[in-house]
Amino acid sequence: MEVLKVDQITKKYEKKTALANISLEIPAGVCFGLVGPNGAGKSTLLKIIASVIRNFQGKIRLTNPRMKIGYVPQEIALEETVTAQDNLVFFGKLYGLSGKALTLRIEEVLEEIGLTERAKDKVTTFSGGMKRRLNIGCALLHQPDLIIMDEPTVGIDPQSRRYIFQMIERLKQKGATIIYASHYMEEIERICDEAAFLDHGKVVENGRISMILEKHGKPSIFVSGNDCMPSGLESFGMLQEKAESYLLITRDPLQAMEYIVEYCKRSGSHPERLELAKPRLEDIFFSLTGSQLRE
Amino acid sequence: MNAIIKLELKKNIQDRGMIFWTLVLPILFTVLFISVFTSGLNEAESQPVILSIVPGYTVMFVFFIMITMTESMIKDQNNGLVARIASTPLSSYLYLLGKWVPYMYIVFIQIVILLLFGKVVYNVPIEQLFYIIVLAFILTFMVTGLGLALAILVKTTNMGIALTQVLALGGALIGGLWMPLEMMPELLQTISRFTPQYWGHQGFREAMTGTLAMGDFFKISSVLLGFGILGFILALIGYPNFLKRTTG
Ligand SMILES: Nc1ncnc2c1ncn2[C@@H]1O[C@H](COP(=O)(O)OP(=O)(O)OP(=O)(O)O)[C@@H](O)[C@H]1O
Ligand SMILES: [Mg+2]
Repeated sequence: MEVLKVDQITKKYEKKTALANISLEIPAGVCFGLVGPNGAGKSTLLKIIASVIRNFQGKIRLTNPRMKIGYVPQEIALEETVTAQDNLVFFGKLYGLSGKALTLRIEEVLEEIGLTERAKDKVTTFSGGMKRRLNIGCALLHQPDLIIMDEPTVGIDPQSRRYIFQMIERLKQKGATIIYASHYMEEIERICDEAAFLDHGKVVENGRISMILEKHGKPSIFVSGNDCMPSGLESFGMLQEKAESYLLITRDPLQAMEYIVEYCKRSGSHPERLELAKPRLEDIFFSLTGSQLRE
Repeated sequence: MNAIIKLELKKNIQDRGMIFWTLVLPILFTVLFISVFTSGLNEAESQPVILSIVPGYTVMFVFFIMITMTESMIKDQNNGLVARIASTPLSSYLYLLGKWVPYMYIVFIQIVILLLFGKVVYNVPIEQLFYIIVLAFILTFMVTGLGLALAILVKTTNMGIALTQVLALGGALIGGLWMPLEMMPELLQTISRFTPQYWGHQGFREAMTGTLAMGDFFKISSVLLGFGILGFILALIGYPNFLKRTTG
């Protein structure tokens, strides 16, 4: 059962088409990753779902129209001149909480985002990671059924990042559905069950991550050290060149490997690594779109 | 909505600049100009000057709240709060009210203090107290309503500051806050009736001396209320574009 259907959504900014006729289904209780390079249209889609953008073509269909939604924007959207507590009270009230229930919930959320000790401090005195955590916390007060997170881990240290991942894990266990936009494929592979690849405003692939891996994850050879690259590799399959390495996706890995080894022996070059590999999600993204997730 | 009102007041109370613009500066101007214009006059001659300047400068300086309102709105827009608030169940109508009401508190207190200052220091008459209080409410409503519209419609803070100067100073000049209307050319005297400043000033002056007839009181009140309501309607109409400017 899906919680939400994105139905043929198109969004244009003046001349630029940010989303071109997108359709998706978000199943209940999953973490749904939205992956794509800068400008792919991730934030635009999330803002439409969060009803921040209101003029667009197509429809967002909520299975339960009264479902509670929490939106964590990509930028840190807080009132920084007041305390963390003030911000939580503010958003809690906007979400319809008050009195004792609000106080209790704020305590829980502070605990959850690890800011109990800093609750009474002004947000201007917070580190980037602490602001990020508060940015998330402000969207959790009303215990939303659907949580929309737009790149919540940008610019924070690995420790805070792990912290946020654990939070997401707990939210999932409580039955929430999460839509998580990122251009870090490792994050998506680690915390998400399903994903959609977005490129130039179009969905290139979507579904269960295990399914995507199975469908596109043909065997491949990974070689690092570029002087060990014979010409004509393309005839074995699909070649992805990176700075100091390349990945050859091929149906016949052993044959291709033999060909590479022959060439290396002849030319006297020594690859640093030469191995059979299964392509990672990021490689699949590249092979489907021709776009790198990050420059 | 209450959440927005509270947060807005909290921010403004922390802001020292606010006290300077709303109270210190107008009091300085009042004292300065009264001493300039009454130098060499005897008490009977000074009285009408004082009676014009005290309410005149009050009416003029309440307009500067529009700058504060614009700054607050544009800041919310830039730091993403507007977009984020739009994702909550709060309606845009209540959002705008929430951004409006706190400035009503502030301006009303400002008017009371400025008039009290006139009473205590210059002993201006306060004959029709009830009218004065109601006019203070309505003036507050009017100027903050226009401020809300300005804050929603302008694209940058600088634009808001520039337009506030035009409205506040231009209106003060044409509305007769600086110079008795009788000294101005006829055409300007007619135009002045289109400025809220003119009506506010007349109303206060007459209510202070006890000559404000009930009919005039209602007329003045409805003109000022009209300006305020116009402001709120403009703000409501402008809101979708205001939201678009933050998010596309
Ligand atoms: N307010 C706007 N006005 C005009 N164009 C916009 C606006 N917001 C986004 N765009 C354009 O729409 C496209 C999609 O932008 P969007 O912010 O959705 O991308 P994104 O996938 O979130 O990228 P990023 O990873 O950089 O956050 C981009 O080409 C962007 O330039
Ligand atoms: Mg984005």
